[in-house]
Amino acid sequence: MKIGVYFCTCGTNISEKIDPEKIRDEVQDITNVAYFKTCEYLCSEEGKNFLEQDLKEEKPDRVVVTACSPRDYEKTFRECVSKAEINPYLMQMVNLREQVAWVTAEPEEAAKKATVYIRGAAARVSRQAPLEEKEIDINPDVLVVGAGPAGLKAALAIAGAGRKVVLVEKTPMLGGMPVRYEELFPNLECGPCMLEPVLAEVLQEKEIEILTLSDVSEVAGYCGNFLIKIRQSPRYIDIAKCIGCSECIGPCPESIANPFNCGLDEKKAIGFAQTGGLPNAPFIDFNACRRSQGVDCQLCKAACPVPEAVVFDDREKVLERKVGAIILAVGSSLYDCTKFPALAYGKSPTVYNSLEFERLLAATGPTGGKVLGRDGKPPESLAIVHCVGSLDSKHKAYCSGVCCQYAFKFNQLVKHKLPEAKVTHLHKELVTPGKEEFALFERATGNPNATFIRYGDLADIEVAETGDRSEIRYQDAGGNSRTIDADMVVLCPAVVPAGGSNALAAALEVPQDRFGFFEELHGRADAAQSKIKGIYLAGTCQGPKDIQASMNQGMAAAGHVLSQLPEGRKLKIEPVTAFVNEEACSGCKVCGAVCPYKAIGFDVEREVSVVNPLLCHGCGTCVAACPSGAMDGYHFTGDQILAETEGVLQ
Amino acid sequence: MSEQIMKENPQQKFEPKIVGFLCNWCSYAGADKAGLAQTPYPPNVRVVKLMCSGRVDPQFVLQAYKKGADGVLILACHFGDCHYKEGNFRATQRHRMLLRLLKQQGIEEERCRLDYVSAGEGEKFVQVVTEMTDTIRRLGPIRRK
Repeated sequence: MKIGVYFCTCGTNISEKIDPEKIRDEVQDITNVAYFKTCEYLCSEEGKNFLEQDLKEEKPDRVVVTACSPRDYEKTFRECVSKAEINPYLMQMVNLREQVAWVTAEPEEAAKKATVYIRGAAARVSRQAPLEEKEIDINPDVLVVGAGPAGLKAALAIAGAGRKVVLVEKTPMLGGMPVRYEELFPNLECGPCMLEPVLAEVLQEKEIEILTLSDVSEVAGYCGNFLIKIRQSPRYIDIAKCIGCSECIGPCPESIANPFNCGLDEKKAIGFAQTGGLPNAPFIDFNACRRSQGVDCQLCKAACPVPEAVVFDDREKVLERKVGAIILAVGSSLYDCTKFPALAYGKSPTVYNSLEFERLLAATGPTGGKVLGRDGKPPESLAIVHCVGSLDSKHKAYCSGVCCQYAFKFNQLVKHKLPEAKVTHLHKELVTPGKEEFALFERATGNPNATFIRYGDLADIEVAETGDRSEIRYQDAGGNSRTIDADMVVLCPAVVPAGGSNALAAALEVPQDRFGFFEELHGRADAAQSKIKGIYLAGTCQGPKDIQASMNQGMAAAGHVLSQLPEGRKLKIEPVTAFVNEEACSGCKVCGAVCPYKAIGFDVEREVSVVNPLLCHGCGTCVAACPSGAMDGYHFTGDQILAETEGVLQ
Repeated sequence: MSEQIMKENPQQKFEPKIVGFLCNWCSYAGADKAGLAQTPYPPNVRVVKLMCSGRVDPQFVLQAYKKGADGVLILACHFGDCHYKEGNFRATQRHRMLLRLLKQQGIEEERCRLDYVSAGEGEKFVQVVTEMTDTIRRLGPIRRK
């Protein structure tokens, strides 16, 4: 075997401390080292040309490059080696600059250490094997889960690039939370108006298949080739035939508490989630329908002017779709306010959470947009309690980011709707980040009927009923006990992961963070990618954020899909992965249990573990865990590492 | 071998050989950081780069002692920072097991140190390497059976 050693002096950065001529003498004795050459700047164009040309002439079996950190230039030198028609994995770098020359005081010691490292690298590289980057075909279609702002934006962007999208939405209606808000912060624009053009585009887009009342139930496969099972609940209305005239709703004899208005009013067993909800077709809540009790009620069908638009024999369907990438945009939920018994949520009729209050403000809501208490009277005084669960290490140790803004919005909407009503903001902290948000804060504080009070601890706040009024007792930040009247109390709960997130995470094997949100690949650099290849994150399922940030993240996720999995291009598989020596495998499955990426499956027939190189990230945890020595890692084999270890100890 | 040298040349200072298994993403980058800051530290630690501290097979450590190491340093990402999510937890578990194993073989626990160095902690890398070198220097060469 012929090993060529290329010593970059890095100007004088390396050679000042490590005399290449001394190294030349030392490396002559190293097994298989055939020659030693120096270059001033191996990473320069001249240097790279020299390396390539020299490798073509010398034709070594293995290459050692001693230069700077491989974290900087390994890729560059691998390319040079490839150009010289040598497999890039037959090259090993030695980090003489950052880890020897720059950190060793004595030149003699530095030279000694350099020699030791070259010995280790030579021993290792002689055991390295050529590796090939394999490629596989990818499915260009994309699954988007959740049709809120983030999911809609992602779906449109991908469809706009001519790619097919399967858009799965759990509820009967598209638009997510903002279509349920009358007005949005910071500019008090109409929520449905902002989203309706987007929804219209989505509904008309031929590349988007919309599946409402649907859930992802099973996922198999991996990046580039997922097989998805989608469970679709029956709507009992044929969306293609329904003209959305609402004639069916009036005759329906059954009513239930309306979940879309947080139970603040009733809806019929057949009906829309919300007036104007899209797609423009009602649905039947079967459990509320008389037909669920065996009664052959046909009143809705009889009232329907379109034949066969009402479909009583609709059944749950399990649909299968093949996609190459998945974008999760399932949104979030609100923290359960009953966890604070003193706030009397769910007990006192005067207490609302912020979503319930949003519905009171909405024209499509239970009061037609009038701010009325459960007693039907407009409140004379309102208290808005910020930070219910947020910024609290006993509950949710983060700022939910949106509550202050919608609380200021509430302040303004109450001012418009009930000009005499007093509004008290009880807050722990106030946040107004962004270029538009401070203006709303100024408007809220400028409301002459508004008072802002900083409280010390949420645990000291107590809602007490006195007759038909309620009052709030609290301690201010100075520790003084105070009481204020509040006919209506609005709690701003922490933003928490949506119900069903855990089941979805389990089905997709996507990691969750300590709060239960889907965990991003990197908090700042890669927040729109999950830790699983081919699965991307958008909107509040990754963490609390506002509509702007959600829609941006939807675009970011779409961008990742379009750039990482472009149509027609093949998916490169990194060759540095684990592999199984099947003869040695005892079938104990320890490897699969420790793999953080679920990249190791089990072949039941042959009773051996199988590594999926597409999912494997090459960390080697399974290799170290294998009790039979059957698992090994390409480019980091036990043999290579031991050879290097022995080499550096000589 | 080191003992022999000591016997033959009692005046010669004992220079320990320490193998450092470093993960690629945090601790190796931390070592590079020390380099960029040009902070000098003892040359005794010889770095073997792995992709993840979770790759550190206890066999590597035992073999290192067998082949002449007086100490072994395993450097990982801090908890929560592992590039591969949880490799550093595995490394920590295996290190605990290793310490028990070493005890049975009569090798002092201090000869096998696990620590956590992030990509930004060049200073901590220098500190850990310096401490480890001092520790092994104090312990003297390893006694091999």
